[in-house]
Amino acid sequence: MKKPLLKKISRISQEEQIRLLTKDLNIIKKQLKRGVNREKIAKEKFRGEVSQGVDREQQGADREKLGAGREKIAEELSRLQSDEIVLKDGQLREGVDREKLAEEQIHIRTKAMESTFDGIFIIDALKPDFRIIYANPSFYALTGFTKKEVIGKNYFLLYGNTENSLLVKEIKQTLLQGKIFQGEMLHHKKNGEKFWSLLRITLVRDKDGTITHYVGNKTDMTLMKQRNLEIEVQREELLHVTRVGKLAEFVSSLAHEISQPLTAILSYAQAAQRMYAGREPQLQEILQYIINDDQRAAEVIRRLRYLLKKTKPSFEQLDINVLINDTITLMMPHITAKNKVIKFEPSANLPSVQGDRIQLQQVLLNLISNSLEAMELNDDARDLLIKTSFKDADTLLVEVKDSGCGVPEENMKKLFGHFFTNKPDGLGMGLSISRSIVEAHGGLLEAKNNTDRGATFYFTLPIILKNDNEQC
Amino acid sequence: MNNVNAIIYVVDDDVSVCRSLGLLLKSHGFKVETFTSAAEFLAFKHPKVLSCLISDIRLPNINGLALQEIMAERGIITPIVFITGYGNIPMSVKAIKAGAIDFLSKPFTSKQLLNAITLALSKAKVLNKKQAEVAKIKQLINALSPRELEVFHFVAQGLMNKQIASRRGTSLQTIKIHRGRVMQKMQVKTVTELIHLAQKVGIASSSD
Repeated sequence: MKKPLLKKISRISQEEQIRLLTKDLNIIKKQLKRGVNREKIAKEKFRGEVSQGVDREQQGADREKLGAGREKIAEELSRLQSDEIVLKDGQLREGVDREKLAEEQIHIRTKAMESTFDGIFIIDALKPDFRIIYANPSFYALTGFTKKEVIGKNYFLLYGNTENSLLVKEIKQTLLQGKIFQGEMLHHKKNGEKFWSLLRITLVRDKDGTITHYVGNKTDMTLMKQRNLEIEVQREELLHVTRVGKLAEFVSSLAHEISQPLTAILSYAQAAQRMYAGREPQLQEILQYIINDDQRAAEVIRRLRYLLKKTKPSFEQLDINVLINDTITLMMPHITAKNKVIKFEPSANLPSVQGDRIQLQQVLLNLISNSLEAMELNDDARDLLIKTSFKDADTLLVEVKDSGCGVPEENMKKLFGHFFTNKPDGLGMGLSISRSIVEAHGGLLEAKNNTDRGATFYFTLPIILKNDNEQC
Repeated sequence: MNNVNAIIYVVDDDVSVCRSLGLLLKSHGFKVETFTSAAEFLAFKHPKVLSCLISDIRLPNINGLALQEIMAERGIITPIVFITGYGNIPMSVKAIKAGAIDFLSKPFTSKQLLNAITLALSKAKVLNKKQAEVAKIKQLINALSPRELEVFHFVAQGLMNKQIASRRGTSLQTIKIHRGRVMQKMQVKTVTELIHLAQKVGIASSSD
């Protein structure tokens, strides 16, 4: 009853407020004539406060204090009204208006409490047994208990006996110390089913500071927990693959790196052999040794490659748009935490590609986190755009476009090389691994600076032709 | 096989690979031009001789496959042998489909390379011959008068003299004279031969 009145008062103009307050004061005066002691005290108090308020108002200063004075008047007024003092005609109408407004407010609040998803309950704090005096429908839905089993009962009995005794003790202690309790916990429903919930219990005090009620708020965390768990599992999986993949990739990239000089050595030796054909038999022999050993090294590489092929990932038919969406979901907490905005523009009707889900996801993760890092330094760079499209009839294109610092032209060439990094703690493997993964899928990964700002990393993937007889 | 005048282009961003392949191919009597990027190669003024290109797949900026596309667009008929340190099947399939001669995994022996080059050059010869032929036909066509060209088109579409005459609204006799001149200028004796030429330059299929 108190607040709505106050709200009304604060909405109307200052003069009007003063007028109303004075009017109210007159009402109080009249009511006080009835000789109620408490009211008399109140009257005196308020008169002082109001006149003080009027003074200040005129000076145009310290409005807050005035507000506080008004609030107290409003409180007292409503108390007087609730004492069912019969007012005279004009006064009666005013009281009815206010009451109507107050009722409406209470109605809205009650509805809000009843319609919220959170389970809300109120405990009488003045009695020692933590008796529940109110619970909203969501509370019943959440716990599985009925109104009969809840109202008037000790809240902590709902926890069952032993399993949560420590927790119960902790909550009780916190409340008895006059502190707010907050914690995530596993709750039991009436049927024994467990569910995760976030429990918050706040305190309601009366004027004197005595805690009169505890208001509890239970939020069902089951879905959120489940989702988090799924994301965690996926992340773990990725990490594992990344670790194994890094080794494989390391070997593979080493093989590539070594094959370059081996090619050169072989060609040099064979050129020399050719140039000295028929002459210098000993030189010919030496050159042949060089060629043989070069080929021995090449054989080692071939065998390594073969070994790696055996641990090759499982290819399946993938919808790249779905994969990107999944990856964005996975990255979302990260993106939000960095205050960046990710936008995805998928091309409709993209046919599926043949690929390894986790590996391609790794590529996307890598590109997205690189982009985020590129945008880290400037706060106004927030937009990250992922786009899919047809490059041509049998190739699709995935672009990751950021608005970050871009890539210095001199680094463009080295970008995909091994161990190239400009991050203090970077290994310089991310992009080179990503490129190898894309290439293993028959595509290409490249980068370019945008004309306005930032860079775009893009890769292609071959579209697999539909084969009706063969489902991969 | 006489390949002495042929030029072998080598494109690889690894300078050592470029140099060694250059030496090796020179030792086999080829003329060699090496480039460390696709752009460099494309900027080079290609002499009109038999040629083939040895190119790495992975190149900075314009990669091997993109280079292959650009060359096709520009009508550069130099067959390509791809070389790569990574060699994977999907990429090689794509390259071969687009007309590459071979896909060699590094390191490769001179024998492997020379076999591929021989193949590439013989393909280049065929392509060159075809191109020369087309060029010659186009030259002959250029010598036709507008009216003769029109008649040539009609004949190529398989229309009879009578039909041509009625379409053009002229007498049969005039058409016969035009056609005779077309045959003479195109250096053919029969209508079949004429249609053949038209097909080679892609005229026969047009129908309007």
